[in-house]
Amino acid sequence: MNHEDLVFATVMLPLLGAAFALFGKLTKRSTLTSWWNGVGSFVGLALPWVPLILLAPVVLQGQSIEGVVGNWYEQIGVAYTYDGLAWLIQILGYTIGGAAWIYALGGGPKGNTFTAIFLIQTGALAATILTTDIFNLFVCLEVLGITSYVLIPTSKKPGASLASFSYLMVSATAMVLFLLGTYALYRITGSLAYDQIAQGLIGLDGHQHIVSLMALVLIVSAIAIRVAVMPLYGWLPDAHALAPHAVSAVLSGVLIKTPLFALTRVLHVFPSGSEVGSLISIAGALTAVIAVIIALSQEDVKQLLAYHSISQIGYITAAWGAAISIGTTDTTGVALMVGAYLHALFHALFKGLLFLSVGTTVDVCGNRNVYTLRRGAKALRSAGERFPITIITCIIGALAISAIAPLNGSVSKQIITSAMKGSVHYYLLSAAAVGTIASFIKLLRIFFGGSSEGEEIRIRVRHLRSRWIAQTILALLCILTGICAPQVVSYTARILFPQASSAMLFTYSFSADLMVKTGITVALGVLVYLMMHLRVVKHLLTLIRTRYRDFTGLFVSFSLATAVLALFLIL
Amino acid sequence: MIIERLLLLLLFLIGLYGIIGKKHIIRKIFGLNIINTAVVLLFILEGSRIGEAAPIADASHRAMVDPIPQALMLTAIVIGVCITALSLALAVHLYRVTGSFDIDEIRIRIHHES
Amino acid sequence: MTTRRWLNGAGTWLAIIALAVILAPIFLSATPWPTVARDYLQQQGTADSGAINLVSAIYLGYRVFDTFGETIVLLVAILGTMGLLSQLEHLVEPAQNDQKALETTSRFALAQEKRRSHTLRTHLLEVVTGKVGPIVLLFGFYVMLYGHISPGGGFQGGVIVASGIVFLSLGNPQEGSFGISRPQVLIRLEILAFFTLIVIFSSGLITGSGFFGNPLADTPFPVAHIVLLNAVIGLKVGMSIGFMCIAMMGERT
Repeated sequence: MNHEDLVFATVMLPLLGAAFALFGKLTKRSTLTSWWNGVGSFVGLALPWVPLILLAPVVLQGQSIEGVVGNWYEQIGVAYTYDGLAWLIQILGYTIGGAAWIYALGGGPKGNTFTAIFLIQTGALAATILTTDIFNLFVCLEVLGITSYVLIPTSKKPGASLASFSYLMVSATAMVLFLLGTYALYRITGSLAYDQIAQGLIGLDGHQHIVSLMALVLIVSAIAIRVAVMPLYGWLPDAHALAPHAVSAVLSGVLIKTPLFALTRVLHVFPSGSEVGSLISIAGALTAVIAVIIALSQEDVKQLLAYHSISQIGYITAAWGAAISIGTTDTTGVALMVGAYLHALFHALFKGLLFLSVGTTVDVCGNRNVYTLRRGAKALRSAGERFPITIITCIIGALAISAIAPLNGSVSKQIITSAMKGSVHYYLLSAAAVGTIASFIKLLRIFFGGSSEGEEIRIRVRHLRSRWIAQTILALLCILTGICAPQVVSYTARILFPQASSAMLFTYSFSADLMVKTGITVALGVLVYLMMHLRVVKHLLTLIRTRYRDFTGLFVSFSLATAVLALFLIL
Repeated sequence: MIIERLLLLLLFLIGLYGIIGKKHIIRKIFGLNIINTAVVLLFILEGSRIGEAAPIADASHRAMVDPIPQALMLTAIVIGVCITALSLALAVHLYRVTGSFDIDEIRIRIHHES
Repeated sequence: MTTRRWLNGAGTWLAIIALAVILAPIFLSATPWPTVARDYLQQQGTADSGAINLVSAIYLGYRVFDTFGETIVLLVAILGTMGLLSQLEHLVEPAQNDQKALETTSRFALAQEKRRSHTLRTHLLEVVTGKVGPIVLLFGFYVMLYGHISPGGGFQGGVIVASGIVFLSLGNPQEGSFGISRPQVLIRLEILAFFTLIVIFSSGLITGSGFFGNPLADTPFPVAHIVLLNAVIGLKVGMSIGFMCIAMMGERT
C-alpha cells in the first residue's frame, strides 16, 4: 500500500466499520447483532491506528502527501493534503472517539445504529482536516453536522430535540451561506481547489475585491458558528448538556476544534486572511472571560461544563487567531500555533474526562443540580465502586483544566500565556484562569459534604466497568502528556513546522516562577469562590443564568457577528 | 440580466425572514427550503450563461453550459432534502412531546417539564 | 412582554438587513463566468471517464468523493429519522378518535374486508396510484441506468423510484401489499447498498488507481463503472427517500 492509500484508509476504515455495525441490523439474533457491533467498532476505531502509525515517519520528517482523490485531473477533481496538522488532528479524533465509545458501552446509548453514526462522525472528522477543496469542505462539514443533529437526541431527554433543532436551523443556514461563499470564489477564480483559488485572488481590485472579501466573511462565519466563539455560542450549552455523556465528550472535545484547524488551510488562500486572525483572537480572549462568568452562574452541572468548553475554545481561538495574524514564519507565531493545537488536544482529553466522570456521578445520584448534589463519593461507593476511580479521575480532570502542574493543562496554558505576554489578551486569559478555578471548586463539592439526614436517591447503575476503563484511559493520558511535556511539545513543533528551528523558545519547567504564578491564581480563585456566597453576587449570577435566550437570538447574533467581520475587513 | 439575480436575492431574503421571523416550526423549515432553492437557482442560472447546449458531449460543436455548478448542486439539493427530512422528524417529535408548534411555547413547556 | 417582542422584531429586521448588505455584492456580481472547466470537459471529459453525460462524469468520476459524502448524509438522515419516529410509537395514541379516519370497504379489493383509512384517501387516489406506481418505478429505473448518455443518473432516478414506492404504498392493497414498500425491506436494501458502495470505491486499490479511482480505466469499457455506480446510488437514494416518506405517512410497520 502506498502512502496515498494509507491516507484514505484513515477515512474509509471508520466508514467500513459503520457498514459492518449496520449489518447487525439485518439479523434478528441478538448475539449476532452485538458481534457485528464489536466487529464494526474494531474496524472503525482500532484498525485506523495502523495507518496512523505507518504514516508517522512521513510526518515526522516534515513531508506531506498531496494529490487529487482518485488521481483525476487536478483542476476539477478534489485535492487533498496530508501533512502534520492532519495527522495530529486525526490522532486527537481517534483517541477521544475510542475512549467515548468504550464509555458508551456502559453508560451511553447502546445499539448498532449509535455505533454506526458515531463511526461515520469519526470518519468525517478524519476527512475534514485533509481536504483542500472548498466544496469538499462543505460536504464534510455537513456530514459532521448531520451526525451531531442525530446523536444529540439519542439521550431521550425532553430538551434534547429542541437543542438539536436549534442547532440544526442555525447551522444549516450557516452552511447555505458557506455555499454562497463558494459560489463567489468559483465565479472569480474558476476553480474549487485552494491552490488555484489563491492564484486567482491575487491582484483583484474594485468590485471583485469586495466580492472576495464577502466570500471570506461568509466562509469564516459559517465555520465560526461550528467553533462557538462568542457571540455565536448560543446553541452549544443546551446541545452539549442534553446529549448523552459519551456524545458530549466527543462534541466538546473534537467537533468544535476540527473546523477551526480546517479554517487554517482556508485562510492561507485569502490575501486578507491574517486580519481575520486578529479579530478572531480578540473575540476568543473575550469569550474566555465571559463564558467563565456565565459558567459560574450555572446550576446544572453539565451546563457548567459546556460553558467551560466555550471558555476553553476561547483560549484556543485567541492563540490560533494571534498565530494567524502574526504569521507562522515568526517564532512567536509558531509558539502560538503549537500552543493552540496542544491546548486543543489537552482540552479534549481533560474535558472528555470531566464529562465522562461527572456523567457517571450524575447517573448514579440522579441529580444534576450542582448546588443540591452532595455526597457523591458515598453514592458511588454504594453503587459498586470499591476503589474510588470516578472521584480520582474527576479530580485529575479538574486539576488539569485549572492548569495545575504537572498536568497537561498547565503546559499548554504556559505556552500560550508566555507567547502573549503584555497584550490585552494576556490579562483576559489570566482572568479566565481565575474564574475556572473558582468554578471547579464549586463543582468538586458534589462529591463531599452535605448533611447526613435527608433521603438520597441511589440508582443502581450497571456496567460500570466500561465507564471506569474509559475514564482511566483519559486520566492516564492527561498525566502522561503532562509529565512528558518537553517531548510532546518538541515533537508537535517539529511535525507542525518542519522548517522552524528545532531550538524552540519555550521551555517548560517546574520553575519557581511558575509555582508563584499558579499559587497566585489559585488564591484568587478561592477568593472569587468565597465571594460567590455574597448576597449581591448571588443575585447578579441568578440574573445572568436566567437571562432571556431564544431562537431568534441565535440568528441575530450570527448576523451581527458576520456584519462586524465584514466591516472590520473593509475598513 | 440583473433582474434575475435581484429576484433571487429577494427570494433568499424571504426565506431568511421565514427562518428568523416566524414562530411556527414548519414555517421555519419552509424558510430553510426556500434559501436552499434560491442558492441552487443562482448557481444553475449563472452557470448557464456561457453556453446554449446541455452538457452532453455529442457531435455538434455548440458551446455547452458549465457542468460543474450542476454537479455541485446535485449534491447540495440532496443534502438539503436530508436536512429537511431530519428537521421535520424533529418537529413531529417536538409536537408529540409538547403539543405545540410554536417555538417559544415549546421552550416554555420543556422548561416546565424538566 | 411587549418590549421583548419589539426587541425580537427589531433584531429580526436588523439581522435580515445586515445579511442582505453582505450578500448583495455576491448575488449581483457581474464577473463573467469562468469557462476553464467547461472547455476542458468538453474536450476531455468523455475520454477521462467514459461517460457522454458530462455531469455524470463529474459527480461519479472527478468528484466522486463528494458524492460519497452525500450518500453518507442520506444514510445518517434516514437512520436519524427512523430513530426519532420510532420513539413516538409509545407516544402516539392510536387514531381511533380521529374524525377523519373511517372504515372503508374497497370496491376493487378482491377480499371484502374493512380497512382503516382516511377521508383524503379516496378510491380515486388508491386506484390511480396503484396502477401508476409500477410505471413510475420502471421510468425511475430507466433514468438511473441511462444516466451516462442522457440527462439523468443515480440521484434523479432514485428520487423517481422513491416516488414510485410512495405510489405503491398509497395504492390499493390487494391480498398482499407490495414487498418493496415495507420499511424493513427498504432499510435492508439501504444497508447493503452502502456496503456495496464502499466496496466499489475501494476496488480501485486492486487495479492501482487508488481509492475512488476508476478501476476499469484501462479496459475498453470504463463507462461500466459509472453505470454500476448509478445503479447502486439510485437504489440507495430510492430506498432512503421512499422510506422517509412512508415513515412520515404514519404507517405502522
